[in-house]
Amino acid sequence: MSIAGFIVVAFMITMYVLLDGYDLGVAAIVPLIGRTDRERGAAMESIGPFWNGNEVWLIAAAAALFALFPAAYAASFSGFYLPFILVLWLLMFRGVAIELREHLASELWHQFWDASFALSSALLIVLFGLSLGNVLRGVPLDASGYFQGTFAFLLNPYALLVAAFALATLAVHGAAFAAMRIDGQPAVRAMQLLRRGWWVVVTLFLAVTALTIAMRPPAAASWLVAMPMLSLGALIAERRFARRASAAGAFAMSCAFIATLLTAAAGTLYPSLLPGFPVGEAGITIFNASPSLAALSCALVVSIAGIVAVAIYAPIVWRRMGGKVHVE
Amino acid sequence: MDPVLADRLQFAFTIMFHYLFPIGTMGLAPFVAAYTWKAARGRDEESARIARFWTRIFAINFAAGVVTGIPMEFQFGTNWAAFSRRSGSVVGQPLAMESMFAFFLESVFLGVLLYRRRGIPNMFTASAAVLVCVGSWLSGFFVVATNAWMQHPVGYILERDGTIELQNIWAVVFSPYLQWQFAHVLAGALLTGGFVVAGAGAYYLLARRDEASGRRFVCAGSIVALVFAVLVLYPTGDRNGHDATIYQPIKLAAMEGLFATTRDAPLAIIGMPDTVHGHLIDPIFLPDFLSFLTYGNFRANVEGLNAYARELWPPVALTYYAYHVMVGLGTIFEAVAAVAVLLLALGRLWSARWMLWILMLLMPFPYIANEAGWTTAEVGRQPWIIYGLMRTADASSPSVAGGETLFTLIGFAGMYFLLGVIYLLLVLREIGNGPSATFADARSAQDDTAA
Ligand code: HDD
Ligand code: HEM
Ligand code: HEM
Repeated sequence: MSIAGFIVVAFMITMYVLLDGYDLGVAAIVPLIGRTDRERGAAMESIGPFWNGNEVWLIAAAAALFALFPAAYAASFSGFYLPFILVLWLLMFRGVAIELREHLASELWHQFWDASFALSSALLIVLFGLSLGNVLRGVPLDASGYFQGTFAFLLNPYALLVAAFALATLAVHGAAFAAMRIDGQPAVRAMQLLRRGWWVVVTLFLAVTALTIAMRPPAAASWLVAMPMLSLGALIAERRFARRASAAGAFAMSCAFIATLLTAAAGTLYPSLLPGFPVGEAGITIFNASPSLAALSCALVVSIAGIVAVAIYAPIVWRRMGGKVHVE
Repeated sequence: MDPVLADRLQFAFTIMFHYLFPIGTMGLAPFVAAYTWKAARGRDEESARIARFWTRIFAINFAAGVVTGIPMEFQFGTNWAAFSRRSGSVVGQPLAMESMFAFFLESVFLGVLLYRRRGIPNMFTASAAVLVCVGSWLSGFFVVATNAWMQHPVGYILERDGTIELQNIWAVVFSPYLQWQFAHVLAGALLTGGFVVAGAGAYYLLARRDEASGRRFVCAGSIVALVFAVLVLYPTGDRNGHDATIYQPIKLAAMEGLFATTRDAPLAIIGMPDTVHGHLIDPIFLPDFLSFLTYGNFRANVEGLNAYARELWPPVALTYYAYHVMVGLGTIFEAVAAVAVLLLALGRLWSARWMLWILMLLMPFPYIANEAGWTTAEVGRQPWIIYGLMRTADASSPSVAGGETLFTLIGFAGMYFLLGVIYLLLVLREIGNGPSATFADARSAQDDTAA
């Protein structure tokens, strides 16, 4: 049961990164792909109908963690207090920017929100990367299972590298989405960005993978060893699609790349939800954080039923709302 | 700064601000759904314009609700870690249901409603509007379920180490406390929606512009307001009072400003509680009525605050005033809505400008009543965070310092102030533009071609 809970939470986080990842990515590159007011407007419109639904995966993951592993939820959210509150503020800025931009037809108003949107989204990616890096690295938990994540501790080289990697990956992910969903100049620029950014992603991918393996070596025969290979394969395929200017293919491969990365990260952590620091401390695991059987099964049923329902109606909506946004 | 105090201030501030928007969402959603539906069925241009007008206002409101709601979901972990850890097994469940069953529904279909793409059938948009409405009510239900459980815990077992474990989820979702609390909350929101629609209509009539739409708003709004002004008092408000009497007698005593346990207890209409000497200053009483309202019997014995140790008292004055503000306003709403509907039935409402003035100026007051209601419920349950099981003083995060929370509280205050200003600016601007405005901006230009 606890294992199923771990899988559900990991799945929701992966969905969050895949889906909100592309709208965060588009947001972060809006100033690069949109030169005119209308071009930036089109970039916003390409994600407009979707971003809120995508962001719900984050809320859902947090709520599932709360219901499935209360101790992990309590320790991580209070431990990363300031970074998480910063995340909240940035999420607010972002939501206001995209939702309210079109409510006034003034260029100044648009410029302000476009800049806030890009900046807050880029910073969010960095903060998420930092948190992931620190979770992988482990945090110093005290006897009662709490810790205090001071910025001095959180801003370590490994986590910063993961943050840079996250920014590059999602910027490229967003570029693929934008190239797929907008026409005209922004699409051309997004494709260029995708091809150039790809090199940064590969470099950072190799560096982060090497460091992570050095820090938490996987058992030799485990399936984990295969994951970086799959990730690399997806990256190479992404490159080929990008060369052939197939944005949809590149986007699909970018999704595969991110999904394999996060699977590898989850596999590395398992069974810890929040490992201790230094490496070797088990920290909070799915076994010492889980609630009663009744609670576990209730939360599992709710999560799975919810995921199934969303899997039925969301694609119907996506299909209806699909198609390119026209710049003209 | 005392960490618990800082956490409480931050929570109270952020939730009270958040709640302003769900009221509008839950209360306006049925209007948006009905107007969108009507526009999709009929071919008249006016209905389509009205639907678009309320959808735009709804969108601003929804955006503000979403951005202020997300901090709420995180705050249980960031600020109330001890509480989350002890009771997450129960409290996490309705919150997980809310995300999975309500938030996805709302947010996915709201995209359809707001971004009308070419070629999408109007009926699809109309169904999306209905689903958004269902989603917003469901989300209200699940979050009130969380609160109802904290007011009256059921379906749990207390472990030896103090954690509170879920035993029976059905007991939580079908808690008797929850049924009436949710009904009352929803009635309060719909009453607000009615008065907002009526108030906007009254403005157009007074300003002598968009009069056809204005009449429709006043008519629909005041009828809805009347229905829910009645329901908010009886049965829902009355049942909430009964539940407080049974499950939280100290809260009831504080709400009523009743210090000494009394048979044939009178109902205080006004008066100021003096907690030092334990009586009401300058009160006006309705004899025996409190006994009747709480127990349905003029002779019943009602327990006063003095029957309990002082450390179990909630902040009496705040609970008392908040409750009296809510009930007082509720009575006024009922009267106003009744007169408005009467004039409407007599066909005199359009010439009764004084009534239109009242309807227009009344718009902010349902919000005040709702906030006062929550203050009654939440402050009145102190010192407990989970009634009878866990004290607020033990609930906050051990690893977060008071200074940190104070800093973030100031940050929230700044952001919310800005957000509030922008919100008002945009909503007032939409109302100023009115239903007949044609828009120059991109998104609604697309709307216009689609509709
Ligand atoms: C427009 C809004 C509105 C109006 C006019 C009223 N209420 Fe209310 N009331 C609420 C909106 C509200 C609320 C915001 O929805 C509350 C806060 C917590 C809750 O469950 O509902 C609430 C709480 C609340 C409580 C506390 C419940 C608890 O402790 O859990 C009681 C006893 C009443 N109400 C009773 C009444 C009565 C007798 C009214 C007579 C007119 C009344 N309310 C009008
Ligand atoms: C329905 C979901 C809600 C839940 C789960 C909830 C839960 C809580 C929690 C955890 C606290 C902090 C501890 C405390 O001080 O008691 C609190 C306090 C408070 N809440 Fe709520 N709340 C909810 C809704 C609301 C709403 C909608 C409002 C008002 C609009 C509100 C007003 C307050 C106030 C004023 C306090 C501070 C009370 C005090 O500290 O004296 N609550 N609530
Ligand atoms: C502490 C308690 C609360 C938490 C944790 C919370 C959480 C949230 C979150 C995360 C959202 C954004 C959803 C999205 O992204 O689509 C939201 C919106 C919403 N909340 Fe709350 N909320 C709380 C209190 C309340 C209360 C008391 C109500 C009503 C009774 C309510 C009703 C709604 C509704 C209807 C929405 C839809 C969006 C909107 O109103 O604009 N919430 N809430």
